Parts: sequence; structure tokens; C-alpha cells
Amino acid sequence: MDLSRRGFLQAAALTAAASGLTVACGGSSGSGGTKNGKNLTLWYWGGALSEKVVAEAKTHFGSEIKLTTASIGGDFKQKLTTTIAAGSSVPDITGIKGEDIASFLPNADRFLDLNDLGFKNLSSQYLDWKTKLAQTKDGKQIGFPIDIGPTALFYREDFFAKAGVDTDPAKVAALVKTWDDYFQLGTELQKKNPGTYLVNNIGSVFNIAVGQGTQRFIDKNNHFIGDQDHIHAAWTTAVRPYTLGLDAKINDNTWNAAIGKTLLTELGAAWHALDIEQAAPQTKGKWRVCANPAGPANQGGSYLALPKQCRNPEEAFKIISWILSPTNDARGFTDAAIFPAAPAAYTMPAMTGPDAFFGGQKIIEVFGPAAKAIPASYEAPADAAVMAPYMTELTNIEAKGKKPDDAWKDAVSQAKQIARRQGVS
Amino acid sequence: MTSPPVTGSAEVPQRLGGPGPARFRPRRTPPAGTVRPKRRGPLAYWRQYLAISPFYLIFAAFSFFPVFYSLYLAFQRWDGMGTMQFVGLQQFRFLWSDPVFWLSIRNTLVIWVLSTVPTLFGALMLATLLHSVRRFKGFYRIALYVPNVTSIVAVAIFFGAVFSNNFGLVNAILGMVGISPVPWLSNPWLIKVVIAVLMTWQWTGYNMIIYLAGLQAIPTSIYEAAKMDGAGAIRTFFQITIPIMRPIILFTVIISTINGLQSFSEPQVLFASNAANANLGGPGQAGLTTLLYFYQSAFLNNDYGYGAAIVWAFFVLIIILVAVNWRITTRGRKA
Repeated sequence: MDLSRRGFLQAAALTAAASGLTVACGGSSGSGGTKNGKNLTLWYWGGALSEKVVAEAKTHFGSEIKLTTASIGGDFKQKLTTTIAAGSSVPDITGIKGEDIASFLPNADRFLDLNDLGFKNLSSQYLDWKTKLAQTKDGKQIGFPIDIGPTALFYREDFFAKAGVDTDPAKVAALVKTWDDYFQLGTELQKKNPGTYLVNNIGSVFNIAVGQGTQRFIDKNNHFIGDQDHIHAAWTTAVRPYTLGLDAKINDNTWNAAIGKTLLTELGAAWHALDIEQAAPQTKGKWRVCANPAGPANQGGSYLALPKQCRNPEEAFKIISWILSPTNDARGFTDAAIFPAAPAAYTMPAMTGPDAFFGGQKIIEVFGPAAKAIPASYEAPADAAVMAPYMTELTNIEAKGKKPDDAWKDAVSQAKQIARRQGVS
Repeated sequence: MTSPPVTGSAEVPQRLGGPGPARFRPRRTPPAGTVRPKRRGPLAYWRQYLAISPFYLIFAAFSFFPVFYSLYLAFQRWDGMGTMQFVGLQQFRFLWSDPVFWLSIRNTLVIWVLSTVPTLFGALMLATLLHSVRRFKGFYRIALYVPNVTSIVAVAIFFGAVFSNNFGLVNAILGMVGISPVPWLSNPWLIKVVIAVLMTWQWTGYNMIIYLAGLQAIPTSIYEAAKMDGAGAIRTFFQITIPIMRPIILFTVIISTINGLQSFSEPQVLFASNAANANLGGPGQAGLTTLLYFYQSAFLNNDYGYGAAIVWAFFVLIIILVAVNWRITTRGRKA
């Protein structure tokens, strides 16, 4: 059939009108209504919570509430952002990853203030610095802490013994009090264990060195401070192992093959123990863990939040405070290797047992004090975006042999640009 | 959204029958003297429109609307949830002075050239070979086409393992013949080569099938005539096959331009395990294609306005390249 131009334009107009209608319909549902719904949905991702505790929560609250859980795969933050922006089918309870919480804070009005629901009375049970990261400047609490990621130094007891180093965790911790001590020890270890390296990549050192401070890339007044001394010091620390030849320069999945073979130590959060265990099961019993050189930092650790559309805030808050009570939080450690944000859990039998992978070491003795010693820092919404160029430039040093000074200049200038784009002055 | 302007009813027939350049005059204009049949308005065909409407409705909701909404977004600053802020051309000004954006354009173009040229040459050669094959035709066709329907993520993971720097199959084989390991996934050029090889492997079969269809449409009598005139195989190929296949080659060049410039999954999956900077295109950002940069800006940095600006600037680039390709491929035909 022939389609005249007029016909085509009419059809196009019709289609446009129809699509406008479709879009308009999408936005109207989802809000309002009564706030005592009997059906609640919980979004989280695999490994965020103990499956056993979640299953028990369903039966525990079964008489009043039907709790439906969905383990969301893929890019969780992206899916949550889209759903919240759309305003319909928003979950009543949702997980938020620790690295994403800062970017949700500018939109705190999309979530309920947990302080209004009674978090105020519970907050003393959870680590203060972790709670504060999910708090707006005016004190609104949007996230209920699930877990944290205190960092420590994982090391190979057999390589240390071969180099004649006392392998007792307390002794090693005393040996690596500062970053310089750590790198010096690394040089000695490498001499006795040819073909091995101290760190997997210098990005991981930078990440922890930045996390050891109280300031990051953007200050509370929304100014860019990524070119200042505290970041430059972290950068210099990170570059040291590279210049000393202690850097394995592993930036891809070959880490899985290297971890059991060529790496003397590994810097990482508590949950990283599981990564090592899965990648190198044959090294069982050869690993130990001790305090992080120059003090602990935090990596990851998530929150539960209640979006504004929550159909029954009171019951939802009851459910999350039950799931995340210190007792149940401790079980998460046993079931899913998630390190509780409630210090009371650290003395519970679920956490104080010896770990066979670490040769029977009670690793809570390292991570427990580390968790409490992590400094409270301010993380701006754009922090992750601004940090990215530093990580990129560090890999440029490793992959292309770029001069560290040039890399620093490029990283700062790019970070400044990203900061400007994100509205940081 | 605003609906496109509807042209006044009086204007259209006038333009249809109006003078205008002869080339554009519609052929279906009835010769003078015949009685024009009574025109039926498009509404008379509502059943037919209704029957085909699902496609257009879905297209409008999931393609048409988002495309133009992204144009709107390119002039805003938006974090995906909060209120939008109109910033005029600021995003494009940022884009102009952003070295990473220009790096991503360079990466994309290099990867595109490195993949498209071997893909199309290889496809044409394979098609010619396959055209003369007598046995197992179906097997060869399927075997060559399978890469195109294989999941790109699976392929990228596989390539990542095969080309792995320290423990990959390629380096293991090179090691056996005494060549020291090649840093496939950390050298800026080799990263691009690996991505291009992946794309070539995936798209050669697709183009080969199209060329094969074109070859089969050429009447054998032409070849017989050429043979009688004493043309050899190579001369026949360049002076008969290629000119007749020109429209098909043009089609594949344009499709490959559009596809090749949109490389995203390949670098994304290849370097996704790069914990220090996931989605940044690997060491030195050598695998950072423009679409990957867009993804990173919009969906990881929550900078949707800037992401939209990136893709619209990139759209302009694709249009230019398609136009250039069109000119090159059709050159000499109209003369």
C-alpha cells in the first residue's frame, strides 16, 4: 500500500501521542495509599545477608507480614536507581552497597528517616563511623548498617618462615607498623623467595592508604581536595612498592592464579578472606592475618534502607532491626562471611572460633580491634567518580611504565574535571 | 514530549503534484486526463494500522522516546533521581575539553578499523570460497555463522582467558616455541588488537552469509561470457563480481560501521574483573570505547546529562563516518 506523506505524518503523530499516554500511565501508581500493608518486598543481592536469617525472618514475622525476598543480580545500584526514579514497584526494604550509599544521600528524601522509626535507640549498638556514612548533613539516617569491611594484612606463613621471619601474627604486626616497615620487610622476603611479590597491585595500596585518613577527595563544604597533601601522601605510599619492584602489577583475573603462587601478602577487607580461600584452596593453613600497616581502613560493607514508598514502615523497621540484630548479624559471618557492623557480635561464639584456612588463627582478634579503630571520614556523593582517575593512572604506571609524577598530574587534572562536572567547586 | 508538527492538509497534494525537480516527482502521479480515484483517509485503514501497531507502540516507548529524551538530558545535570538542572551547553563544553572523551573516540576508531577491514575482506574471501564448495555446504555455513549468534559475554570471557597475560593459552603456545609471554591485556595496542580479533571472529560469518547470498544472485551466464572472453579467475572477481556486488558491499560497510563503532560489551566484559577500575577499559584505558565511557559516566558516576552528551556527540560522528563511507563506496558508480 502507498503511504502518502500526510498519512505518514498522521501515523507518526498518533504513535507519539500513544507513547506519551503509555509513559503518563506509568508514573501515576505506586505512591500514597495506607501505610499498614501486609505484603513487604525485600531486595538484596547474593551474599548481602545470611540466607538462613532471611528465611527465618519470613517465618518469624509470618503471622503479621508476608515478606517476599528477591535476590537481584547484575548492577544492583543501577536497578534500584531506575526503580526509585520510576516510582512504581519500589521495594519496601532494599539493600544499598557501601560504595553506593554516598551517591544516594543527595536523594535522601526518597528514603524514610530511620531515626523516626526508632533507629536512634539502637544506633549505639552499631559502629559510629559506619552509621555516620549513611547519614545526611542534617542528621537524617537512610541506611541501617549490615556489615563492614575492616582491612588487614593477609600473609603467607610459609614464605615468611623461609625468610626467617617470626610468623606469629602479633610479631608480624609489630614488624609492619608503618608502610615503610612493610615495604622494607617485603624487600627482604623477596630476596629469600625469588619470583614473588609483596602486593598484587598498587591501586589496592592507594585505596587503603586513602581510607586510613579522615579526609577523602571532597570536603564537607563540597570543595575538591584531591590535590592536597593527604592524597599525595597516599599516592607516594602506593608508588613505593612499584619503584621497589615489589608490585606484581596484577589488574585482571589472573589474580586467581597468582594468589596461591607468587603473592607474599595481600591487603584486603575481612570479606576478602573468602576470595583467597576460593581462589587458592590448596594454600589452606598457610595463610595468617595481622593488623594493617599504619592502621585499618574500611572497604565495602552494606546497608538496608526503606524507600519512601514502603507500605508498612513500622513493620519493615521491625524486620530489619531483627535481621540485623547483633545476634543475627553474627550468624551472617558464619553463613556468608559478612563482617557484622555491631561490635557486640565480635565476642559471640559464631565469630570467635579458630579458622582452619588461617592455620587455626582466631581472626576476629585481628578484625575486631580493626573494626573499632577505623577513622570516621566524610565521603561525598561524587567521591567514587572522582577517585576513578587516580586508580586509572596507577594502572597506567603499572601497564605503560608511565612516570609517577606525570601520572599524578594527569590524575589530579582529570579528577578536577570530573568534580566540576558533578557540581563540586 | 511534543508531537511532531502535522503538515496542513492543503499543502501536501500541492507539493505532490507541484513542479519541483523531475527526479523527485513521484512516479505514481496519474497521467493527465485520468479520473483520480477518491482518496481514502488513513483512518479508513484503522484495522491495518491496528494490526501493525504493537511494533510501533513498543518502538515508540522503548526506542523513539528514550532517544529524544536523551537529547533533552544532554542539556541537563541529573543524577538519575533528584531534580534536573538545566545547564545549557555546559555538558558539551566539558566534553570538548575532556581528554578521556577524545581518547575514547581514538580507541573506538582504531578498534573499528582493526576489526572492520579484516572482517569484510575475510567475509568476501570466505564467501567466494564457499560459493565454489560442492560438499558440506550447510556445515560450513553454519560453522561460520555460529560465532555471530554466540553470547558476546561468553565469547569475551573466553577470549579473556585465552589471551590472559600470565596464564593464557596463547602465551602458553608461544612459550612452547620459545617466544616470551606477550602482554596481550595490558599493552595499549595489543588490548585493541584483542578486542578487534574478537569482533572480527564474531562478525565475519555474518557478512559472509550476506555476500554469499549476493554471489548466488549473479547469473552464471555472465561468468560464462567472461570466460569466453578469456578472463581469468582473479580478473573475473575484480571486474565482474565486485562491481555487481557493490550495493551489497555498501550495505555491509554501513552496517559494519554502525556495529563496529558501538563496541561496548567486548571491552566491558574483558576488563570487568579489573577490580581497581572496572568499566574503565583496562590498563591505560586502552580499551575504553566511547560507549563504555558513556556507560561509565551515566550509570556508574550517576552523571546522566554528561552521558547523554557523550552519546549525542558520538551520534554525529557515526553520521559523518557513514556519509564518508557512502561516498567512498559509491564513488565512480554515478559518473
